[in-house]
Amino acid sequence: MNSSNSYSVVIKKLSKKFGDFEAVKDINFEIKHGEIFGILGPNGAGKTTTLNMILGLLKPTGGSILIEGNDNVEESEKVKQIIGFMTQETVVDSYLTARDNLRIFARLYHIPESQVEQKVNHALEEANLLSFADVAAGTFSGGMQRRLNLVKSMIQEPKILILDEPTTGLDVQSRVSMWNEIKRLNHEGMTIILTTQYLEEADSLCDRIAIIDHGTVKAIGTAQELKRMVSKGNILGINASEKDEEKVLKLLKSKFGIALVHNNNRLEATIDSDMLGNMAKIAQALDREGINVEAISMHLPTMDDVFIKLTGSSFRDKAGEQQSSMNKVSKYGR
Amino acid sequence: MGMLKDSLTIFDREMLIFKSNLRTNIVRSLMFPLIIIIFFGNIGSSVSGVPIAVANYANNPQSTQLINSLESGSTLSIVAQTDQATGLDLLRQGTVSALVVILPSFPKEQQGSPSVYVYYATSQFAESGVAIPTIENAVQKYNNGISNIQITSDVNAVSTQGTNSSYRDFLIAGVILMSVAFGAVFGGGMSIIIDRQLGNIKSFLITPINKNAIILGKLFSGTVQSTLYGILALGLGILLGGSISMGISGLVWIIPLILFVAMAFSGIAIMLGSRIKTIEVYTIVAQSIVMPAWFLSGAFYPASSFPPLLQPFSVFDPLTYATEGIRDVMLNGFFPFGHIVTDFSAVIIFALLGIFISFKLFKNTIA
Repeated sequence: MNSSNSYSVVIKKLSKKFGDFEAVKDINFEIKHGEIFGILGPNGAGKTTTLNMILGLLKPTGGSILIEGNDNVEESEKVKQIIGFMTQETVVDSYLTARDNLRIFARLYHIPESQVEQKVNHALEEANLLSFADVAAGTFSGGMQRRLNLVKSMIQEPKILILDEPTTGLDVQSRVSMWNEIKRLNHEGMTIILTTQYLEEADSLCDRIAIIDHGTVKAIGTAQELKRMVSKGNILGINASEKDEEKVLKLLKSKFGIALVHNNNRLEATIDSDMLGNMAKIAQALDREGINVEAISMHLPTMDDVFIKLTGSSFRDKAGEQQSSMNKVSKYGR
Repeated sequence: MGMLKDSLTIFDREMLIFKSNLRTNIVRSLMFPLIIIIFFGNIGSSVSGVPIAVANYANNPQSTQLINSLESGSTLSIVAQTDQATGLDLLRQGTVSALVVILPSFPKEQQGSPSVYVYYATSQFAESGVAIPTIENAVQKYNNGISNIQITSDVNAVSTQGTNSSYRDFLIAGVILMSVAFGAVFGGGMSIIIDRQLGNIKSFLITPINKNAIILGKLFSGTVQSTLYGILALGLGILLGGSISMGISGLVWIIPLILFVAMAFSGIAIMLGSRIKTIEVYTIVAQSIVMPAWFLSGAFYPASSFPPLLQPFSVFDPLTYATEGIRDVMLNGFFPFGHIVTDFSAVIIFALLGIFISFKLFKNTIA
């Protein structure tokens, strides 16, 4: 059996240059059938460029992408039938009715005339919009438009669904229902690739995650694997007032042999998990010395810790960099 | 075949959007023509006492009668009875707006050539627009079957456009083409920018269709919509008192002329829209292409009266030929074969050029 057939997506030595700017450098990874695969990383890091190449919107400078065994440059028409895509922004024609929105895309996906109406009705039903089928989409609520957008993206019944930041900007309720929808589709056998800004979303939703930065894959694996990559133990964090910090540092060094360092505006150290029982002892020792700390915590590494470790900065700090890289891309490439 | 089908899907989508805004689109397209025709089209409608000069070489009772009849209405006022050379001098100085020369043979034609010559100053279009029909009417009473009057503009021997009817009729041709050109650049091209901003272009490009299908679909819809705007402007012009001298059959010439201009500007608009990111910049660029092209076509006054510096631009402006063609049909009621060839050649070349650049220079910008 051909190795490419056991995977839904195989990316080999993929690279993309915009002039002198290397947006993607020799990326390799595979996405399995039926998994939810998360891509983390700020836009300028090459995430969007990679997605656009998978979608066939950009031609790779080097390397290849196989989608269900089809080369996405040579067999682009076939590949485009396999992939469904929903952007971060809701894209529906607000002047057109829900039905016309779907009809147009059914035709663009070359669904035979005789099946168009049936597919459209099915999609309307899926989106729970049958009773609003002949109403202009512009009059819909945000959630209804989003649902229309989702069924529109899947009108050709793709095997792979790519979601670019599907929950960005959604309220908590809509976000949860989007998560449930993604899980349901995945349960029905759809391979899902999503990008997200929310590390906790990647953590709870994705079977596997790739972290991309500066055009390369920094790490890939399940959330557990990634966290273990960062540290085998737990993370101890102590928030203390500035004048007490020195005392805390000294006490933990001398009594417990723990070397705390400044990180994220607090004192942090990675400790072995078998020291978990020491948490109470540390608290007692601090109390005995009369040192008042604001907070003390012990937790497993989070995706945020993984991100900090792998990219050298926290996710949110990347916002500025993201902007500057975006400009670079647009200057060269578009 | 596949591409054509895909482009029809895009066309249908564009037309559905157009239809959903039908009232707004129509009102917007009629607003500007309405204002222009009402405000400018009535210039000269209440002109009276237009100064003219008469050079009477016939000196017979009929010629005296003719001169009297010229002054019978309040429209004309004969300020000088003189010889032809002095009359032309007066015309050039602006003392008179027209000169009527009555040849000795009057009221008979001499071997088929006219016995009355009328010279007018192109710069005095508003007044001559009123004066010349009056003169014509008076002279034609002596007509015995053959045209007995020759109307010539002074200085440049231009065609007689805009002289045998009011300025309003003259203006309508220009206004029709304005509706077409503006409709095309502010319809198709803008829609590409909006579609890109809303992410529609990206969502089209991830479907199996070719980008050329998008261009073709937009080209079709842009052409159909702006042709419709042109026809609406023509209808409005007729409603406001204009007429087609050739009659209803004139549409056979007018509509294709409109169609080719619509096609050309739609092509230009699509190319620009694919390359310009914001509507603000697009508006500036589009205006600076359409406005000069429109003015140079002689939409407001005859291109022949432009200063020499602008003349060459007018010659290379495809709208000049479309305007000329429509005026032949609407004003003169006669579309000479030579004009058909040049006018249609010009607009067809222009349309092909527009289509060519829309495909050749289209930029696949998605963000």
